[in-house]
Amino acid sequence: MAFPTNPIYKLVNHPVTGNLNSIRTADDRFIPIAEDNTDYQEYLEWAKTNTAEAAD
Amino acid sequence: MTSKIVVNNIEPDAGISTVSILGIATATKFIGDIEGGVTGNVTGNVTGSSGSCTGNAATATVASGITTTASVNTSGIVTATAFIPTTGQLSHRNKVINGAMNVAQRNMPITSANGYCLDMFKLWDGMDSGVATVDQSTHSPDGFSKSFKVDVTTADTSLAATDYARIHHRIEAQNLQDLAYGTSEAKNIVISFYVRSTTTGTYVFSIEQSDNSNKHCVFNYTVNSANTWERKTFSIAGDTAGVINDDNGYGFTMYWILAAGSNYSSGSTRSTWTDKVAADSMAGQSVNLFSNTSNELFLTGVQLEVGTVVTPFEHRSFSDELSRCQRYYQQYVNPCCTGVIPDNGSKAYSIGLQFQKRMRAVPTLSITNAGTGGNVSDGQSTQFISTLNAADRNLDGASIYLNLAGDLGDFRPACLGLNDSTTNSTTYKFTAEL
Repeated sequence: MAFPTNPIYKLVNHPVTGNLNSIRTADDRFIPIAEDNTDYQEYLEWAKTNTAEAAD
Repeated sequence: MTSKIVVNNIEPDAGISTVSILGIATATKFIGDIEGGVTGNVTGNVTGSSGSCTGNAATATVASGITTTASVNTSGIVTATAFIPTTGQLSHRNKVINGAMNVAQRNMPITSANGYCLDMFKLWDGMDSGVATVDQSTHSPDGFSKSFKVDVTTADTSLAATDYARIHHRIEAQNLQDLAYGTSEAKNIVISFYVRSTTTGTYVFSIEQSDNSNKHCVFNYTVNSANTWERKTFSIAGDTAGVINDDNGYGFTMYWILAAGSNYSSGSTRSTWTDKVAADSMAGQSVNLFSNTSNELFLTGVQLEVGTVVTPFEHRSFSDELSRCQRYYQQYVNPCCTGVIPDNGSKAYSIGLQFQKRMRAVPTLSITNAGTGGNVSDGQSTQFISTLNAADRNLDGASIYLNLAGDLGDFRPACLGLNDSTTNSTTYKFTAEL
């Protein structure tokens, strides 16, 4: 099975503040906006050439 | 009567090889080989080019220590007031977490690429068609109970140049500072592991430093006998040029190659730290584990320690290893929590959860429902958790916003149903892997 090369990300806003809270993946993982998080690092790499789906 | 004979040489008579003294012979100095037991004190140096000391030295007192470049072997018991290695320590030698493969918090086989089944060890599948399942196995060498199992389920008999598959393990950089990399005191490391495979031949083990442009060492090892546990060892001189950052990123990544296309296997092995070249990174890998769906590989007893001598695997307790693993991943099934129902009529519920262990980084969160999912009660009625809405997190805990299957009374506190149900449950998964 090939490593996914174009995962789908969707932005998630905070339900109370309305600010950006997480990056949601296609398999429903909620990535924090945190530099040390390796999932967020992967997202940032992806976002250099892609655009995530906007928050609801 | 006393007597005294003064001579300067005593030689056996012709045809006699031995001069015997039936009583005690004393002298101010003995020179030459001594055979048989020696009683009394021996002072001065004992020298010899190739001989050995044999016999019982149980009561000997060695005033100035024993110094040798060779190993000291005994089948007896060695006691001392202190054991102090010249490099490294006796306990906590092993820098690999979950090296005995005992911890599998997720506790489910995976068949997807780039995922974890056992803690800290990941299958990284870059094959265009080959597929493998990873699971925790009870196949193990004597003294172990678990191993990391790779079971090929879809074969790829003809590797593309870009194909590869590997197991990887990462070590946090701040746990490697005692190696003194990047200084003149950089220390040697030794790596050991047990491997068992259906497929004999040449494999690759490699290790990279992420803080130094993935500078790497690449070794070949041979699985000599099918379906037989074999221990493999490697030694790497300290890197005086490559500093490992003192932070919570990964300092080392260790790779066990399972298959490699020509883009990665056509170069040369590297026994010392060398700038990374893609063609070297899996150089010499002749085995394609994905050549047949009957192929399996097992790995356990992984150890990386400071020094030049490979020591026996350092076994740690399950709770000790679990605690170490929870810095990188932890999960909770139907945890005991009280939260609140907000006034938004959107079937929402929020809870706060304190982690059992401070995590390496702010974690990614996901939830998995079994059956109807975990239940939430406001004291009047009950609803089930459906999906994750959002989460505020730091290193020590999380405020989690959940969507429910139906609405509960607004403004009320509500508690998660604490039960052991495996039929209706919600599992909260926090990931801060390296």
